[in-house]
Amino acid sequence: MGNNHDFLNSLFMVSPEQPVSPVSPGRREGKQESPVPRRPDGGREGGDRLRDRMKKVDPNQSERYRQRTGE
Amino acid sequence: MSRPDFPVITGIETEYGIVRTDVTSSDPVIESMELIQNYTGSAPWKWNYEEENPSRDARGFYAQGLAQDVEEQEFTRSDHQRFFSFREMKSDRILNNGARFYNDHTHPEYSTPECHGLFDLLLQDRAGVLILRQAKKVREETLGGGAGLRLYKNNTDYHGHSYGCHENYLLPREVPFEQIVSFLLPFVVARTLLIGAGKYTVESSEKTGAVRYQISQRADFMEALIGVDTMHNRPLINSRDEPHASLSRYRRLHLISGDANMSEWQTVMKVGMTRLVLGLLLKDASVPRLALRDPLQAIRQISLGLYEQPLLALESGSPRSAVTILKEYLDVLSTLSHPDPEDRWVMEEWAKALEDFQKDPVLLSDRLDWVAKRELLESFRMDEGLSSDDPWLQSLDLAYHDLDPSDGLFWEMESSGSMRRLTTEDKVRMATLSPPAKGRPRIRTAILHRFGHLVAEAGWERIHFQDRTVIELPLFLYQSEEEMEVIEKRVSSLSDHRQIGALFL
Repeated sequence: MGNNHDFLNSLFMVSPEQPVSPVSPGRREGKQESPVPRRPDGGREGGDRLRDRMKKVDPNQSERYRQRTGE
Repeated sequence: MSRPDFPVITGIETEYGIVRTDVTSSDPVIESMELIQNYTGSAPWKWNYEEENPSRDARGFYAQGLAQDVEEQEFTRSDHQRFFSFREMKSDRILNNGARFYNDHTHPEYSTPECHGLFDLLLQDRAGVLILRQAKKVREETLGGGAGLRLYKNNTDYHGHSYGCHENYLLPREVPFEQIVSFLLPFVVARTLLIGAGKYTVESSEKTGAVRYQISQRADFMEALIGVDTMHNRPLINSRDEPHASLSRYRRLHLISGDANMSEWQTVMKVGMTRLVLGLLLKDASVPRLALRDPLQAIRQISLGLYEQPLLALESGSPRSAVTILKEYLDVLSTLSHPDPEDRWVMEEWAKALEDFQKDPVLLSDRLDWVAKRELLESFRMDEGLSSDDPWLQSLDLAYHDLDPSDGLFWEMESSGSMRRLTTEDKVRMATLSPPAKGRPRIRTAILHRFGHLVAEAGWERIHFQDRTVIELPLFLYQSEEEMEVIEKRVSSLSDHRQIGALFL
């Protein structure tokens, strides 16, 4: 595993500001939710799961993928 | 003309990629039909096609026909020899949430109901993911024997075939189409920076042979500035004049140049920013003269520019980057009051995103599909020692958009928290069953629930009963949620469908 695995894992680090506006403000009840709550921490475990998924992808999947023209 | 209080109703139509995994070649027409027909969440109402006229051009004429490339013309000829009817092929479903689910040009398409709120729209768009997953599950069970499907929320097969994610914005008719075009064009091009889904190939006619990552999935397929076409010679601003409401009072801006986003943040911002800019037009606000010298070239320049955004040539004045153009629109917006909290949220996020991009574009990897995917693929490439043209990278790009929650790369990133999520699973599940709180879909659904057994056909605008009674559905532009609830209850309590019309007088 090279150094860039660290970067992949860093994708899962929590940043101090995670703006999330969960539902239409008009439908909120009671205490107003902050438009800037946090997001969960995926951590290294999340990075490993993602890497496992990536390893399972068939390298030739996109070569075989054919669609007809849509709009 | 100033209509500052006009509520711009929005909707998103998404065509999904579809392929069988257990056979070497699958028929996309059959697979799309079967997928939709296997959805068990709604009755198969007949769609009313009389409301549709895609050849009517907002510039005041009818197109002779809609363009197709040579390959698709051949496919279409073959389709006409098939043993099922047009209606069977379309397999239309009107869902309980007011959405339309059907086979559009060999792709399962989910069209959200008409939405007044941005976060309602996001919930309804995301509900489409659950609906397609459910249909896929039933279809796979029906096929049995280990047969499988893959569904992709993207816009390309990497071999020159694109399928769309279209946005719709209802506007007052009195806004001249030409004014919309000139006002919006620089923004539509520049917003690519913040709404791109990312793509590991170049498919435009200027392809050099080098495999390159770019911001936009659709930029390669934009070949005209304005036009009614959607399958060939695609325009930055679509001029199809099909408001799905009173033709004399409204027009529907139909944008086909944007990408299908996995990122919820981008889905909201794509429509939210555009809605705000259209709001400027309704307020008669002036924006700086930003006419691009070559908008088609500019959108490709932005797309290929990635973290090093180029300066784009203007008709007059000094060149600007996409960041600067977006900032100039935002600056004008900032001079006006915005009572809608959703609009204020979008403006704050818009400003922060531009600031982050200028500071370090990688900061946006929790919001932008193209940045997240670029960083993901690049780190994987370096770890595995792959060359930049290794086909695995493009396959990983495709896997990012896979709808399967166990395989799709995006879902792992979102559930682990590296991509922002703005909805909750419970609310999305509810949105598969319920229309938005405001507007026409709520009443359409109520009528279908109460009198569905008497309905012959239905569409966005009206419901046709078997006894030839036709109910025109008002847009309910200014009604509150509470008022909508009252109307809904009245519909549900009626004993005779012929009384419905009187409720809307």
